[in-house]
Amino acid sequence: MEPILTTKDLSRHFGGVLAVNLVSLNVYDRQVHSIIGPNGAGKTTLINVITGRLGASEGQVLYQGRDITHRPVYERVRQGISRTFQITSIFMGLSVQENVRIAVQSHLGGSLSIFKPRGGLTEVNAKTGAILERVGLTDVNRQPANSLAHGDQRVLEVAIALAGDPKVLLLDEPAAGMSPAETDQISELISALGKEMAVVLVEHDMEVVMKISEHITVLHQGGVIARGTPREIASDKQVRDAYLGGDQWAPLTKI
Amino acid sequence: MNSTATAAPGGLIFRALRDNPRGKLILLGVFVFLVILPFILPNRFYVRLVNEIMIYALLAMSLDVLLGYTGLLSFMHNAYLGIGAYSTGLFLMHAWSGSVWLAMLAGVLCTMAVALPVGWVQVRTGGLAFALLTLAFGMMFFTVAWKWYPVTGGDDGLMGLPQPTLSLLGINLASSGNSTAMYLFTLGVVTVCFLFTWRVIHSPLGAVLEAIRENEERAAFVGINVRRYKLIGWMLACGLAGAAGSLYILYRGYTGPGVMGAFEGAGVLMMVLLGGMGSLWGPLVGAAIFIFMKDFLSSLTEDWEILVGIIVILLVLFLPRGVAGLPDLLRRTKAE
Repeated sequence: MEPILTTKDLSRHFGGVLAVNLVSLNVYDRQVHSIIGPNGAGKTTLINVITGRLGASEGQVLYQGRDITHRPVYERVRQGISRTFQITSIFMGLSVQENVRIAVQSHLGGSLSIFKPRGGLTEVNAKTGAILERVGLTDVNRQPANSLAHGDQRVLEVAIALAGDPKVLLLDEPAAGMSPAETDQISELISALGKEMAVVLVEHDMEVVMKISEHITVLHQGGVIARGTPREIASDKQVRDAYLGGDQWAPLTKI
Repeated sequence: MNSTATAAPGGLIFRALRDNPRGKLILLGVFVFLVILPFILPNRFYVRLVNEIMIYALLAMSLDVLLGYTGLLSFMHNAYLGIGAYSTGLFLMHAWSGSVWLAMLAGVLCTMAVALPVGWVQVRTGGLAFALLTLAFGMMFFTVAWKWYPVTGGDDGLMGLPQPTLSLLGINLASSGNSTAMYLFTLGVVTVCFLFTWRVIHSPLGAVLEAIRENEERAAFVGINVRRYKLIGWMLACGLAGAAGSLYILYRGYTGPGVMGAFEGAGVLMMVLLGGMGSLWGPLVGAAIFIFMKDFLSSLTEDWEILVGIIVILLVLFLPRGVAGLPDLLRRTKAE
């Protein structure tokens, strides 16, 4: 099977610091591919370079066989690469529905029909409704996004990312700050999404990672130190050393 | 005249009345009041004052498109009013003074032609850098108007302007020197501009601009070409400012470089903040408050700027969302 997204010796440095160092990985359709590693391992920087938020210092990002290393953010999104952020990035002052609606509109078109009302794009409305329904935010669709609970804001961000029918969805710590119940809910959603598209997941909650990933890449100090299935990673000595036997690693030993 | 002026936007108003009927009835009432006003005001001076208010209301509203909807701060939006005024004036003087509409079109197109490369540079930045660039370009344009004697007349400004015949929808009103006719012409143009902008802001395009204002990075990450849409917002705002400039020189029969100065630019910003940004109608009210205040205070003291400053400081402190935030504030105090 051909990977949908590939990085080839991808590097990014900040001054003399190598945040991402020669990372090569393959992401496949309909798989949850998790990227783990201790704090400062370069996980978020890697996601940022893949999605175009940061430029690459060296190396390539290939998407469906095409080199997208230097494409602007909006083009990557339109081609099917969506993401969420570690720190929730939504349209705080707009309603929940408008948050999703604008994302759908940007994908389906109609942004230049200046003589139509905002709610006048039928196809956009239908799709917005379907996405809100799917993530379970229909009941709060009229509320301003900044009035939502933290967990719901994280879910809303996933909903926004889904608006463009992504082929690759990159989630940067989607469960951060969530209650156990909310974490269960979102990992169920992510697992389901992983059956429809490629999901790249950065997550600190090892229980979630071990449960829903098909493939795991471990980063340490910017470089890849291990890759494999959850089972393989759990028994990797190098990985354990990297985590220095910290609490984060505890759930792995149970497997 | 009244009926012809309302005929074009009439259908729009009717459709728009379906939602938020109270707000729109107020707007309709204000419009009718403004139509009647020049016939009941005994003093020509006040007709001209309200005329000036309407022109600056249009300018303030156009700045609101940038500031309130796209989230871009322009310190010297009056520069584009100036460019519209000068180019309309130069068209009337050197090209043709037979059609007021062609002169206005020339003014708006020239303004947009200047605004396009400026905007192209500016949208590559955001936040403070964008604001500083507006200041830098504004200063340059001011200096050009002030120093380029052969074309702009330097600090004397454009003088000896022909007064074209005003016409609305094919009906000749009078010379632009007639204060009532100029007033009604201004009202007609400003009303159409307001309805057009209102329509655009409440369209899917307006939603894109708001998304950029709310979160530029997220906007890019839902696939919005942020630079492109910032440029569209910028061009809309500058085109409207150019139209305000055309009206300005027709109304005054003259323009000097002073209208493009940084002090004036700050005044336009104050109008938007006083009225409340992000509402379109707020800045219209803000322009009225600011110009009435200026007129009243300058009759009391030569140092009226100090008093304007104090009042603006108080309003910003106690009414941070401007007049447009007042209904909300009242509702909340009532609830408590």
